[in-house]
Amino acid sequence: MFNYLHNHYQAFLNGFSRFINNIGASVMMMIVIGITLCLPSAGLLLIENAGQISQNIEHEAEISIFLDRSVSKDQIDFIDLSLEKNSLIKKIHFEPKLIAWEKLQSKLDVAVSSSVSNNPLPDAFFISLNTLDEIKIQKLLDSLDGIDGIDSVTVDGNWIKKLRIGLSLIKLSVFFIAALLIIVLLVVIGNTIRLQTLTYKDEIEVSKLIGATNAFIQRPFMYTGILYGLGGGIITISILKLSVLGLNATLIKLASIFGNNIIFQDLPHRFYLYIVILAMLIGLISSYISARNSIQRLKIYK
Amino acid sequence: MITFEKVCKSYPGSPEILQNINLEILSGELVFVTGPSGAGKTTLLKLISAIEKPSSGSIIFESQNLSRIKDREIPILRRRFGMIFQDHKLLYDRNCFANVALPLEINNMSLSDMNRRVRAALDKVDLLKKEKMMPITLSGGEQQRLAIARAIVSRPSILIADEPTANLDKEYAEEIMNIFYSFQQVGVTVIISTHELPSTKINFKRLQLNGGSIQNLIGHVQLPS
Ligand SMILES: Nc1ncnc2c1ncn2[C@@H]1O[C@H](COP(=O)(O)OP(=O)(O)O)[C@@H](O)[C@H]1O
Ligand SMILES: [Mg+2]
Repeated sequence: MFNYLHNHYQAFLNGFSRFINNIGASVMMMIVIGITLCLPSAGLLLIENAGQISQNIEHEAEISIFLDRSVSKDQIDFIDLSLEKNSLIKKIHFEPKLIAWEKLQSKLDVAVSSSVSNNPLPDAFFISLNTLDEIKIQKLLDSLDGIDGIDSVTVDGNWIKKLRIGLSLIKLSVFFIAALLIIVLLVVIGNTIRLQTLTYKDEIEVSKLIGATNAFIQRPFMYTGILYGLGGGIITISILKLSVLGLNATLIKLASIFGNNIIFQDLPHRFYLYIVILAMLIGLISSYISARNSIQRLKIYK
Repeated sequence: MITFEKVCKSYPGSPEILQNINLEILSGELVFVTGPSGAGKTTLLKLISAIEKPSSGSIIFESQNLSRIKDREIPILRRRFGMIFQDHKLLYDRNCFANVALPLEINNMSLSDMNRRVRAALDKVDLLKKEKMMPITLSGGEQQRLAIARAIVSRPSILIADEPTANLDKEYAEEIMNIFYSFQQVGVTVIISTHELPSTKINFKRLQLNGGSIQNLIGHVQLPS
């Protein structure tokens, strides 16, 4: 155990000193990682915000149930009861035709009401659902269809569905872009590490000749890669954090002018941790592959 | 300790350099491998230290057959030899101390032990005062001594030196040879390749290689000490 830790401690010191010795290249590398990871992270930030908005809207998804003009009080009670029993339904609001008519009249010109003697509006239930699942909604609609006294049913939630689909498409493309950029980073970091193995070619050769294992030779390069990732990740989250703060400062200024109160949601802090961990993983993986390959390819004795 | 049985060695695309070599090196011996340039001295030493594998035949080192050794066992084996290469193979971007420390790093030694051992090794070759200097600033003889310090720092039971005195003035050469003799005196097996035998009177075994691909004995010359 002590040996194992000591081994890694040595390798870390070695990797760190290589990181410092090539500080120019190291800084460049970290900036490249930091900026590259900004793009998918910013996408994540936008998705998180849009997702929250769409979730808030979801509560207002509604089905309107218009009743027959000739519906009886008993029938209305029965419909009310069966709606209340349905677990998909979150909120029920009944609007009698008289009230609807009054509302309409107050909204429109009063003259209209005098020219129309009969109330043309039906009684109606407005219900909001706790699901957007199309199959469940269709089942509900089918069951409503069979109830006496219901004239027609309209679903108002379709545009939300479209928004959701749009969002998940954006999400998918952010992940796709993220995957591509990660591959780019793997290649770029890998190439930098490969160049480093060439710089330390003599040391690698001598170490092998006097009995170093490949793992021993690889390890410092892997720590250098992890340090690149750490630095790059910190740059990414700094840029993100500053952007959110800057954006919100502007939004608050606008809010005081226009009176609306939009605040850009920051990512949960664990996401910042994930970004740094991801960056370090990218550094580790690419340096591992690259150091392994080039040490084997150097082919200095077995 | 080391036995060659019908060992042949050729590099890819070149004729056989060593043919049908049989030899035996005993523990604690002082062995000179002699022969003209290109005779295969370096190749022979590389075979002993598991840097090269024989094309055929077997090399037995302490009951381990080096011609059939697994790749992952090679590093552990190499750590048992103290190698001094013909071209030193010093690291010119590290100071003297760090050069000598390399084998101990590979052996995963703690820093305090490492400090002590490296100083002792540098002291042995009289370079302790130059531990912070870069190898490039040392003279040829000093570089050779630094290479020796690196070879002895992990206290191997076998020292292998490839033409350690080739480019040195006579007095330096004798100084270097005396270091090797002192190690042999305390029980270390010492194998040295050289163009010409030293003039010092000392017991040694001589392995004579001639004409590149021709196998040769391998006499046992003893000089009175
Ligand atoms: N890695 C190699 N590949 C091909 N030929 C080699 C290699 N190493 C040595 N040789 C050849 O083997 C012969 C013996 O070389 P070497 O063992 O270095 O001899 P010495 O050390 O006695 O001068 C030389 O002709 C040399 O050119
Ligand atoms: Mg040679």
